[in-house]
Amino acid sequence: MKRTLLAFIRKEFAQALRDPRMKLILFVMPMIQMTVFGLALSSEIKNIKLASVYAPSDAAARRLAQRFTASGWFLPVAAEGLAPEDLVVSGAADAALVFPAGGFARQAARGRGGVQLLVDGTSVTRARSVEAYARAIFAAHAAAEAGLPVSAAPFGFDVRIIYNPEMESPVFMVPGVMGMIVCLVTIILTSMSLTRERELGTFETIVSAPLENYEILLGKTLPYIVLGLANAALVIAAGFFIFGVPVRGDLWRLFSAALAFVITTVSVGTLISTVSKNQQQAMLGGFIFLFPAVLMSGIMYPVENMPALLKPVVYANPLYYFTTLLRNILLKGGDHAVFVFNMSALAAMAVAAGAAAYGRFRQTLN
Amino acid sequence: MNAGPALEVRGLSIKFGDFTAVDDVSFSVKRGEIFGFLGANGAGKTTTIRMLCGLLLPTSGSATVGGLDFSDGGKGIKGKVGYMSQKFTLYNDLTVGENLDFAAGLRKLSPAYALRRRRELFDLIAFDSPLSTMVSSLPGGVKQELSLAAAMLHDPEIVFLDEPTAGVSPASRARFWALIRKVTELGKTVIVTTHYMDEAEQCGRIALMRTGKLIALGSPAELKGAAFPGPMVELDFNGPAPAAALGGLGKAAGLLELSPHGMRWHAAFRDRPAMEAALAALPPGASRAVIEPSLEDVFIRLVEGAER
Ligand SMILES: Nc1ncnc2c1ncn2[C@@H]1O[C@H](COP(=O)(O)OP(=O)(O)O)[C@@H](O)[C@H]1O
Ligand SMILES: [Mg+2]
Repeated sequence: MKRTLLAFIRKEFAQALRDPRMKLILFVMPMIQMTVFGLALSSEIKNIKLASVYAPSDAAARRLAQRFTASGWFLPVAAEGLAPEDLVVSGAADAALVFPAGGFARQAARGRGGVQLLVDGTSVTRARSVEAYARAIFAAHAAAEAGLPVSAAPFGFDVRIIYNPEMESPVFMVPGVMGMIVCLVTIILTSMSLTRERELGTFETIVSAPLENYEILLGKTLPYIVLGLANAALVIAAGFFIFGVPVRGDLWRLFSAALAFVITTVSVGTLISTVSKNQQQAMLGGFIFLFPAVLMSGIMYPVENMPALLKPVVYANPLYYFTTLLRNILLKGGDHAVFVFNMSALAAMAVAAGAAAYGRFRQTLN
Repeated sequence: MNAGPALEVRGLSIKFGDFTAVDDVSFSVKRGEIFGFLGANGAGKTTTIRMLCGLLLPTSGSATVGGLDFSDGGKGIKGKVGYMSQKFTLYNDLTVGENLDFAAGLRKLSPAYALRRRRELFDLIAFDSPLSTMVSSLPGGVKQELSLAAAMLHDPEIVFLDEPTAGVSPASRARFWALIRKVTELGKTVIVTTHYMDEAEQCGRIALMRTGKLIALGSPAELKGAAFPGPMVELDFNGPAPAAALGGLGKAAGLLELSPHGMRWHAAFRDRPAMEAALAALPPGASRAVIEPSLEDVFIRLVEGAER
């Protein structure tokens, strides 16, 4: 048993570390993804082009518009010539602040001071940031100019802002990107490696040895669990050095969360390989799992805003718990109740996925 | 080591869905024999071997391998046999040493034992490249010899070789067959598949397979005798065969088989008088020579016989 496992680990490591494609997937791609996603998310969220539409004589409107510019998140762009909607549609502005035609202060006094914010929704992440910034600025403005009635904003409230009060989006987003990368790397590598053995025919040699199912399964998965953990450490370090994402919580919490997550994804990769005939199918299967996993994880869309129908999918998604744990441990220092709940859910998933992979695994070729 | 047969197969069949890939195959193999499976692609050779190595579960039938049956899920049998599949058995992206270490790990061999076996097998296959050589850089023939060594690392009694010489040069094929003979001299039983006739000639006995069925079984000489009880002549018309001559020959009494071999023709007859009568009717320019039928002739006759 020990001899067999060691032999598998040595073999898989030798292969993974020799294959330029594997090295690329394991080490280079995660770094590029971290940098690109992280930078894209961070630079995008500054320099939001904002067109403010108000009459030149409207001093109250100008004050609010100036507060937007002063925040540092928005860049003013000229609003003349086009209708506000066309400004956004044409891409001349990312958002347009439209004041009531009759003068902001006067309409406000009549209780009709509604300011409309048109936001380009092409990038949901960006739109969400614009929403969040605008809300904060409104609130600050209302407080500063007491008596100005600011009615309930026409957009939903993102509760997760409490984790990230400075609204430093990269710091909040990067743990999501980390989870995504670990998920991608482990699922793709595991499913491809098992399918490749079948495709090449070397799987026949493995199963022609008198081994138990669990020995082969452990032999083929343990190396990828180790590689997945190394990958998680790599992206956490990258997050720290590139984006200053802190590691506030205990390392053992971080390790157990990563371990449970990697066991789950490696088991999912194994399951995918049991239904794939070749490496292309395995790759496709991996992405079929990854798309909903990423979309329904709260990384890009807040879970709170999802339709009730989709919420069960979120609660069955290991990436949701892992991202929540990463944010909780890295950013908040690991609130114990949050940790226990999410960790239990993830551990249960690791056990379930591992059992399913074991149940589906066959040594015969029928 | 007990003295029973190496292999005892009774009514072995396997279906994939509706398709019967191996149909009611029975045979037995003596210890120390070179037993060959001969048949076209898709005849069921690989499938039969996979069942006997415990990689496929038969739909029906039974088998004992090395005196053991499959009641323990094949564990015991897997310990007694070595299997070299028709595809890659070695990893191209590992070195020779890494491949053999992995093979040893799969079989849970102790490092000392694995080292000893490796030395013995390197002697056997006359391998002297460094252990750090990448397998991908070895010539095809050497790769196959090394695959055999990996399959024999745990010193199995019975070795299954599935098309071990596919895609290697004729010189390497000859070398590999010399190796197979050496393996049987060590007291091992070798079961080998091929679709090369010259290789089949070197087997002690051959099982001829066609569409999942075993259509003939015996030594090369027995198969030839059974398929061609009378004489065979090779005809050379020194150019394209005249249609009239062929037509006449085709209708001759006592003709068993008439088949083209390149520019020449092989004609087999029930007995010598039938041959002499038929040959007398041929145009005088044609040269004729009585020959030993080859396994290829046997194959053509039996396979076509099965189709008729
Ligand atoms: N796992 C399988 N599922 C379905 N059909 C199979 C499977 N394995 C083999 N076959 C079919 O069984 C037949 C015999 O195949 P095989 O034993 O590989 O032939 P051979 O080795 O003589 O070339 C072929 O028609 C092949 O397509
Ligand atoms: Mg075959």
